[in-house]
Amino acid sequence: MKDVVVIGGGPSGMAAAVKLAGKGYDVALIERKEELGGILDQCIHDGFGTKIFGKALSGPEFAGHFMDEVSKLGLDVHLNTYVKSVNAGGDVKELVTVSPRGVERIKARSIVYAIGCRERHPFEIKVGGTRPAGVYTAGMVQRLVNLYGILPGRRVLIVGGGDVGMIVARHLYLEGVESITVVFPEEFFVGLPRNVQQCILDFNIPFRPRTVVKEMVGKERVEGAILVKVDENWRPIPGTEEFYPCDTVIFSVGLVPYAKKLRAIGAEIDPRTRGPVVNEFFETTVRGVFAAGNLVQIFDYVDDAVESAYIAADGVEKYLKGEKRLDNPVPFKPGSNVRTLTPHRLEWKDERPVVAFLRPAVEGRAWIIVRGGNGEILKKEFRQYVRPSTLERIEIPREAISGAEEVYVDVARV
Amino acid sequence: MSREYEVLCIRCPKGCRLRITVEGNEVHVSGFACLEGKRFGEEEVRNPRRIVTTTVRILNARYPRLPVRTAEPVPKDKIRDVIEALKGVVVKAPVRRGQVIVKDVAGTGVDVIAERDMEAVG
Repeated sequence: MKDVVVIGGGPSGMAAAVKLAGKGYDVALIERKEELGGILDQCIHDGFGTKIFGKALSGPEFAGHFMDEVSKLGLDVHLNTYVKSVNAGGDVKELVTVSPRGVERIKARSIVYAIGCRERHPFEIKVGGTRPAGVYTAGMVQRLVNLYGILPGRRVLIVGGGDVGMIVARHLYLEGVESITVVFPEEFFVGLPRNVQQCILDFNIPFRPRTVVKEMVGKERVEGAILVKVDENWRPIPGTEEFYPCDTVIFSVGLVPYAKKLRAIGAEIDPRTRGPVVNEFFETTVRGVFAAGNLVQIFDYVDDAVESAYIAADGVEKYLKGEKRLDNPVPFKPGSNVRTLTPHRLEWKDERPVVAFLRPAVEGRAWIIVRGGNGEILKKEFRQYVRPSTLERIEIPREAISGAEEVYVDVARV
Repeated sequence: MSREYEVLCIRCPKGCRLRITVEGNEVHVSGFACLEGKRFGEEEVRNPRRIVTTTVRILNARYPRLPVRTAEPVPKDKIRDVIEALKGVVVKAPVRRGQVIVKDVAGTGVDVIAERDMEAVG
């Protein structure tokens, strides 16, 4: 019987496993692929780790650090292993895995899910027209280019103004595609400012805001796309259709927590984050089952995802030690200017401050305000600039919220 | 005669909007939240630099490409030269993270290093 099984060998899974093994627990780490590292193997650009390591590393370097820790600790790692089913109902959790060794059963006292997210695809954003060859998601293109050295095409249209789209645009430009245009429905790019500067503006890559793909054109292979301008509510403006010739269309239209597996074991899902409902130690609504990283919600930085894994690891420790929970859990609710908020409730007795992550619905100079059920202000923190594309992190001291029956976190423009 | 620039700081995720005024040899930066930002602003108008990341061909490894980067930022106008200089490079597994793949790439004085370990396969 293991103390804990961590499912997923990406940065969050490795971080949770390393922290728990470091505390002396018997940990198994399960990874579906043939090596650890998760999606970082294809994120070869730099800028990872500025919070944790104080310097900008590439994705593989960031992953490499944790892979070294895993091997130093001699962790029980199962590669090429797929988790077929999980029975998480009781105090003893049972996992059935499939690997080249065959079907195996693992028993554990607790589980950390760190299985990340998946990319949204063109079917989810209602793109019309045909479905020829030459349509990709951005992550798929990163994989092709960075691991296999294959360029997806020569004339490329990128749909989406987020970080992944910008990074792929720069990469394809440097690797020598003939033409690139980036289109997105927003007024301006929605990714991090540093990526706008160093991926788009640095190389004068053309982009068109307030523009979406109405239809894809082409029989066997993409021949182009019909672009249409949209108004501020993203409604197409009639008469603005235009044919854009290209041989490749890359969709970079967002990431969604891969919560299917958690739903299957009975965990409650938050329709806003599309990840699990969690308490302040990232425990799901299934006792002893924790979530970490992009499975909880989409983080902007791997550093924050890793922090969520460390917090989940602390939670696992509390669970394994059988520490006391609060008699009445305190619900955490997003205010009207907050799109997503984690955690969803306060459930444990503890001294440490609660780390909350929120995505504002407004842009500009602002206060992050923590309120109690009667509207009383429990804590406020000033922010020079908030924007919907940047996840905010706030630490709420336990003293500030002791006695509150519910807690609201909101953002107020200055 | 003074010139003015507006630049997004890329030193950290905050992404401060820097306003930079250049008058002769004087560079004045404002809008930064920390000294890193001030330094970045000064360098960005005098000698802008970037880390370049790309891949080179690797033999006997799990994948056909090895991710590499410049160990230090190189001048922005040398980015294309660095990419070109790495086009014909072929290495053989095993490779260790941080291992120098090309010394003094494109005459920049900066080495290109491997971003990850890559074991020999087969």
